[in-house]
Amino acid sequence: MSKLKVAFYNLSGCSGCLLSIINCEDSLLDIFNAANVVSFLMAQSNNREEEQDLAFLDGSVTTDEQEEFLLHLRPRTKKVVALGTCACYGGVQAMENAKGTFERRFEKVYGKTPFTIVKAFESKPVDAVIPVDYYIPGCPIDGDLFLYNYARLLKELPVDMPKTPVCRECKWQENECLLLKNQLCLGPVTAGGCKARCPSHNLPCIGCFGPADEANLTSEFNLLKEKGYNFAEIERKLRLFGGTKFINSFRELWKSPAAKNQKTQLRKG
Amino acid sequence: MKVLKLKKQYLKDYLHVLRSWGEVYGPVKQEDKYVYDLLDDLDKLDTRMLRTILPAKKFLVPPRFTTFTFKDHTYEPELNNLPNRVVFGVHPCEIHGIVILDKFFLERFPDPYYAERRRRTAILGLSCVPDDKCFAKSTNTHFAEFGFDLAFNDLDDFFLVWVGSSLGDDLIRLKLELFDEEIKQSDLQKYMEWRAWRDAQYKLNLDLTAMPDIMELNYESPLWEKLGEKCLACGACSMVCPTCPCYNVIDQIRPNKTEGKRERLWDSCMYKQFALVAGGHNFREKRSQRVRLWYTHKLKAFITEFGKAACVGCGRCIDTCPVEINVKTVVSELKGGK
Repeated sequence: MSKLKVAFYNLSGCSGCLLSIINCEDSLLDIFNAANVVSFLMAQSNNREEEQDLAFLDGSVTTDEQEEFLLHLRPRTKKVVALGTCACYGGVQAMENAKGTFERRFEKVYGKTPFTIVKAFESKPVDAVIPVDYYIPGCPIDGDLFLYNYARLLKELPVDMPKTPVCRECKWQENECLLLKNQLCLGPVTAGGCKARCPSHNLPCIGCFGPADEANLTSEFNLLKEKGYNFAEIERKLRLFGGTKFINSFRELWKSPAAKNQKTQLRKG
Repeated sequence: MKVLKLKKQYLKDYLHVLRSWGEVYGPVKQEDKYVYDLLDDLDKLDTRMLRTILPAKKFLVPPRFTTFTFKDHTYEPELNNLPNRVVFGVHPCEIHGIVILDKFFLERFPDPYYAERRRRTAILGLSCVPDDKCFAKSTNTHFAEFGFDLAFNDLDDFFLVWVGSSLGDDLIRLKLELFDEEIKQSDLQKYMEWRAWRDAQYKLNLDLTAMPDIMELNYESPLWEKLGEKCLACGACSMVCPTCPCYNVIDQIRPNKTEGKRERLWDSCMYKQFALVAGGHNFREKRSQRVRLWYTHKLKAFITEFGKAACVGCGRCIDTCPVEINVKTVVSELKGGK
């Protein structure tokens, strides 16, 4: 079997996920030998843009130039993989998503500067522009999970990411539950796979892997409310990393009339 | 069953001796809770512990472990280099939990990975005094009559030590001179008084009589919907439960390699994917169905199959669930309480 053609690209983000790949030092040669890497700006020269089997995209979409790049990329790529929380859900820079305040914020920082080279807009995930086949979230991604899924993709198997909550691995590490210590922990509503890195250092989960398979946001909200947190605080925490995905989940969640009442009650509380 | 006496001041000497047989683990304080940890320093041992975050099942079925490695067309089971381990401080309820795991992993479909770890793990029980979350007396698991190698009953200045297996006998013989083989009438007296006193300490008493009937009558109860709305589906209850045995299996492959490993990871029926099968059909799509399954398994199905509940009253679910869905609250609601 000939080697698959693979490309790694960066959009708007810190490139930490691509760096996490380069940090897999023991497996670095395997990563490059297992495939025909046609483009990886951070790791090699002689990059070329051509027909390819797999494209890994790191970062979120924030300019019209990136949109155009993606629209050209999709037809020449068999499978597109969103790599990291920015590409999957918009990332930290999407925390204000759907509030419609981008222009105001832009002006506050840059003044009334006209766009010259590219036009910028509110940060959005890759799948807001082109269809995405697989998602490997994380801020940054977990190296072991990347290697596992990279090997799967090269064998043309689908990505297999844990969708169970952070609490699962948190219990494996025998951490004391931070929710029971009245901290604003998003563990139960956040997808695991991170080996519960934050709670294992006594820091509450801030949701960087995005929502778990079945995030019970209503129950999480009620619980945090009982512990004295208000609606705005919890929503802000959820927006921080979950950005687009959590906020979209909210919309679904709050659609029914019963949920609307509950939302009003939660806000009042 | 043989019974011996061990003066309390000799406990650490004896645990030190046991290091000649295997790695010695015991309860260690970790912030406000306890965990079973390697006693590289015997002063870390804290026998005042009540319940550890994870039960001793973590020694017999680790949360995540490799079952075999494969290379090209061959495979090698990971069974050969397992260490001998002594786990000291296992409470009676947890010993009952291990007996239940034995039924699951050793009887109908013997699991070599469990069997080998079980064989290499010496279970050293320790008596306990309950707190307000223990209800082992209600599940009749407050004493262990078997399932251990040695069982230590704490009677102030000495332990009465029950020998529960031939391995236990071997372990005693590693340093027989530390033990006193003569049990006096006054020792028996003291033990009986302790039993009566300890049994009176249970503040949480649940009447679990005829739970299968009560579960059956409640099968369509709106209670399950209510619990389903509240449940975070975080699975913490199953992780900490001494009798939850479920796991998932994944093959870890590496890029550019024809080798890899097969791993087992603790899973939980509380997770949506647990009952997902090919074609996208899910037997228990709704959280309410999953919560119901967990309690049906613990309090009905296991009783019907094995004659006893798969709950040993350790109180870990009470201590762990952030939204207070646990055997105490669920049993109370099933019986019409609030």
